[in-house]
Amino acid sequence: MKKKYKLMQKVPKSPKSAYNHGRFISSLIEHQIKHFHEVEKSLAKPGEPLTDISKIKTELHASKYLQKMTARLHPQGAERPQKAAKTKKAVKPKRSRSAAKRKPRAKAKSGRRKKE
Amino acid sequence: MPPAGLDNLKHIVVLMMENRSFDHMLGGLSLVMEKGKQKYPKINGLTGNESNPDLNGTIVKVQPNAKFQGQLDHDPDHHFPGVDLQIFGTSQQGADRAANMQGFIKSYATQDTSIEQSHAIMAYFPPENLPVLTRLATEYAVFNGWFSSIPGPTICNRAFAHYGTSYGNVDMNLFFVQDPIASIYDRMIQGGRTAKIYYYDQQSSTMEIVNLLKRQPQIFGSYSQFIADCNGNTLPDYCFIEPCYNDHPGPGGGQILASDQHPDHNVKEGERLIANTYNAIRTNQELWETTAMLVVYDEHGGIYDHVVPPKCDPNFPDGRSAAADKTGTGVAFNFDRLGVRVPAILISPYIPRGTVIPGTEDPNGVIYEHACIPGTVTNFFLKNFENRTAREKNSKNFLTPLTDTLRPDDDCWVFDL
Repeated sequence: MKKKYKLMQKVPKSPKSAYNHGRFISSLIEHQIKHFHEVEKSLAKPGEPLTDISKIKTELHASKYLQKMTARLHPQGAERPQKAAKTKKAVKPKRSRSAAKRKPRAKAKSGRRKKE
Repeated sequence: MPPAGLDNLKHIVVLMMENRSFDHMLGGLSLVMEKGKQKYPKINGLTGNESNPDLNGTIVKVQPNAKFQGQLDHDPDHHFPGVDLQIFGTSQQGADRAANMQGFIKSYATQDTSIEQSHAIMAYFPPENLPVLTRLATEYAVFNGWFSSIPGPTICNRAFAHYGTSYGNVDMNLFFVQDPIASIYDRMIQGGRTAKIYYYDQQSSTMEIVNLLKRQPQIFGSYSQFIADCNGNTLPDYCFIEPCYNDHPGPGGGQILASDQHPDHNVKEGERLIANTYNAIRTNQELWETTAMLVVYDEHGGIYDHVVPPKCDPNFPDGRSAAADKTGTGVAFNFDRLGVRVPAILISPYIPRGTVIPGTEDPNGVIYEHACIPGTVTNFFLKNFENRTAREKNSKNFLTPLTDTLRPDDDCWVFDL
């Protein structure tokens, strides 16, 4: 039984055009990469090749490197990423009959969207 | 005897967003009119007449034309020398200069922006464009005087939220914690309490890498774990949430948007993250009545704010100094001035609607900064912890807006995502 709430605030979705994993990394992500590279160096066995972080230019490149390093340090973080943004569904009370008949639109959760 | 809100408090959740100033996000609230009067007169936002000169000497006023994305695609400078210029209006150093918040356009104009583009740094959001932040700020408690800890970038400011100090750093460089000041997570665990940093996912990861993730992976969790912990009533005593810092492919062919609101990431996605985090607490009645959630930004990201950052209390110093060759200004920094003001909102059903905590505009106002985070959490959960900076020990308690009165369930909003 879903709980009904009296005061509901609609939150707009982000536009599909917002996504751009080819965006060049910001200074923040650049430094995040550098910090992880220090970790990589400290964990490397003698002779083990290191990632060439100078080739990390885009957010997609960065996300792949961060995933690799984070998985090494914190493998627990890979648990069920699909559920990352799911919360208990809140519903408005007293929907009209006509509104109730309409097929609900799929809700995109924060940070999640279907592939175009 | 503490108010019931504090007496019943079991969890403190901090969500730290990225790089937006108070005026940019919330300054428009003081311009909202109702029946010929200001609807939110206590909020120290904009009058509409605040301005900065551009490189041609033209006076440019603040404008309600902030865009969700694409307007600040040249990431505004927020490194130490850039913020120094923004605050003082000049890059010349000297004891006789006064902070005037007149260098924001000048600073942005140095970044390959046209004269017209440089004006974008004065843009602010009309409140209706930020329904989540506006709702939370006007329904719970907003701090008029919460400042970033350092007039500088992310890493050193976030360090204040974790350690109460940046160990003398004013930049983005890696630093190794060698001092005996423990992080808030160490303190909590040593004190028999629970604490966790939740990063969004492995592709986004955390900004607390070397000092904590490498050494103590057990204090980390993912955002999915945070949601599971909310739903399962297994939330730690103290939680720190990091947003998603980059766009990347999601599971099953989906797409995950950065939700940190760092320019030039879409601000709407940050709104959705804030709403989703709030909902996770709000829709669990037991958790809702026992949790205080703080939404705060790490620093202003080079974007205009009209309030001059105050000096730090010399009686309670950080105790460190950044050498002249480290600041980029040619002058040492003694951690004696705060950074630019940022949005900060405290949420709890024990906070009366429309609470505004006065800042520098009020002689009785209270100054907050990120050292207040470990300061308040330590004092609340551990009562006392000696080995920390005088600055953190003297930092103000951000839980003071909690009262004796629990608002009825029907009086508190839920977001429809």
